Amino acid sequence: MPKPIIICVDDETLVLDSLKIELRKFFNNNCLYEFASSGEEGLEIVTDLEKEEPNSKKVVISDWWMPSMKGDEFLIAVHEKYPEITTIMLTGQASEAAIADVLEKANLHCCIRKPWEYEDLMHTIKQII
Amino acid sequence: MERRQLDLPKADILAVDDNPVNLRLLLQILTSKGYKVRPVPNGKLALSAAEAIPPDLILLDINMPEMDGYEVCQKLKENPKTTNIPVIFISAYNNAIDKVKAFGVGGVDYIPKPFQIEEVLVRVHNHLSIRILQKSLQKKNQNLQDTLEELKAAQTQLVQSEKMAALGQLIAGIAHEINTPLGAIRSSIGNIQDFLKQDLYYLSSFFNSLNNLEKEIITKLLKQANNQYNVLSSREKRKIKKKVISQLETQGIDDADSLADTIVDLGLSENLSVIIPLLKAQSGINIFNQIYRFYSLQKSADTIAIATNKAAKIVFALKTHARHDSAETKSSADIIQGIETVLTLYQNQIKQGVEVIKNYQSLPQIYCYPDELNQVWTNLIHNALQAMQYQGKLTIETLSNPQQIIVKITDNGQGISQDILPKIFQPFFTTKPPGEGSGLGLDIVKKIIDKHQATITVSSVPGNTTFKVFLPINNIH
Repeated sequence: MPKPIIICVDDETLVLDSLKIELRKFFNNNCLYEFASSGEEGLEIVTDLEKEEPNSKKVVISDWWMPSMKGDEFLIAVHEKYPEITTIMLTGQASEAAIADVLEKANLHCCIRKPWEYEDLMHTIKQII
Repeated sequence: MERRQLDLPKADILAVDDNPVNLRLLLQILTSKGYKVRPVPNGKLALSAAEAIPPDLILLDINMPEMDGYEVCQKLKENPKTTNIPVIFISAYNNAIDKVKAFGVGGVDYIPKPFQIEEVLVRVHNHLSIRILQKSLQKKNQNLQDTLEELKAAQTQLVQSEKMAALGQLIAGIAHEINTPLGAIRSSIGNIQDFLKQDLYYLSSFFNSLNNLEKEIITKLLKQANNQYNVLSSREKRKIKKKVISQLETQGIDDADSLADTIVDLGLSENLSVIIPLLKAQSGINIFNQIYRFYSLQKSADTIAIATNKAAKIVFALKTHARHDSAETKSSADIIQGIETVLTLYQNQIKQGVEVIKNYQSLPQIYCYPDELNQVWTNLIHNALQAMQYQGKLTIETLSNPQQIIVKITDNGQGISQDILPKIFQPFFTTKPPGEGSGLGLDIVKKIIDKHQATITVSSVPGNTTFKVFLPINNIH
């Protein structure tokens, strides 16, 4: 079984750094982690990974409020190309309309609010993988 | 009569004459044409009749005992209730009528006696027509005025709701800007607490288990890891990681992908010669993981420091932005500080994709409405960012001469086409899809600029749009 891959997208490095420490603490070396600071970069990584590791379980965790490509747009794009990838939104602020849209069009697994709880987020991911 | 008859439905005419014969004659002439006539024999009665039910027209004899026609007319004109009623004088002796005086006291016309029936009817008809047209004009005027008042009220409400919408957007931005560092802080504190709870007990046994060489290597690597400032983008990190993975794999090291990730995080990709022997040793992985734990502790502390600064900066900007004490009085303010505050609040939308170039020439403080000017900068910067779809160059320039301060805000977005350029300051003009922009942003800007006796200009070609604001310096209070 290849290692599951968790892809985090947030324009804020602080968040990516924090997520990485949490993920490594909780899942150790049992998962692989990828980080992108924009939706565009996130799509690039997902596309690459689908080529390199087509059999890995993948989870995408994305912020909503980002410059240029917003989180909803990004997650919908991911879902349209790779419907088997699970999507999670992690955000400090998202319009209800945007969340409803992603729920419907990207089969959003859940939306977790910032500031998030470590246990919440980790167990949510654990259930998926 | 072949004259075109204006529809004068039951015009009400007050006829005043002390001579009953004349009065009866007038009554006959006018009632035969369908007018409603109220005959009165003297000035006093005329005044009270006119006051009680203002007629459409008054025919007024000049020579009457007690109060003559001139005096009656004067009194009618002094009373706001009767001042607009046209008065036609009647005079027994054509030559004796003082035309100047008649017009002077407010008469509109005169009819000499003995009456020519035709003449009476034509003059009455003409003045009634004028009066009725005047009345309908007055009514229309009143309607227009009412409509204008309603429009003004609606506009005020729209401006208010535009402000509320802007505020809502600002609050959403602030919520994000605060919750993001809070998330990072909470996560980092969790990591530090875990370290103190779990790793600390294990620490002494861990160090005791190390041989001298291992201790030396750990010290060296930790020093290295602490010295590196992690300025690599996620993209660059992935590139390096791939290289490290292939190097580890050629050395036959297991779990190369996870280990490579840690090595890149620690900034140790240049130290593979030291790390590879360590990873090959039995206790190597454990030691390596411990180094990562130390590193994460450092990283968490740094994250908290950066995140608290960020949150504090946002709160400060918000406080500066939303001062409400200066609503109606001008105060001395620093224009550059106002612009910087707005930039801080928009940092989230600027920080990626937009390069902000600041050419600030130091400016004197000026008396102004600082909150309102902040709204000007907010609107202009927001428009600029939208025009370039959050990708490009935003140039902000300030300069001054003895008379004025000049602020230039330039974006390299698509530009505003020449045919809509003259319309952009009009209320409700918007290029955004319905529901997204009220079209009041620049209208509000213009109002604030006017309030400061300032001017705003715009020039635009594709790739270069500049708004210039000229604020007078000598406008103390």
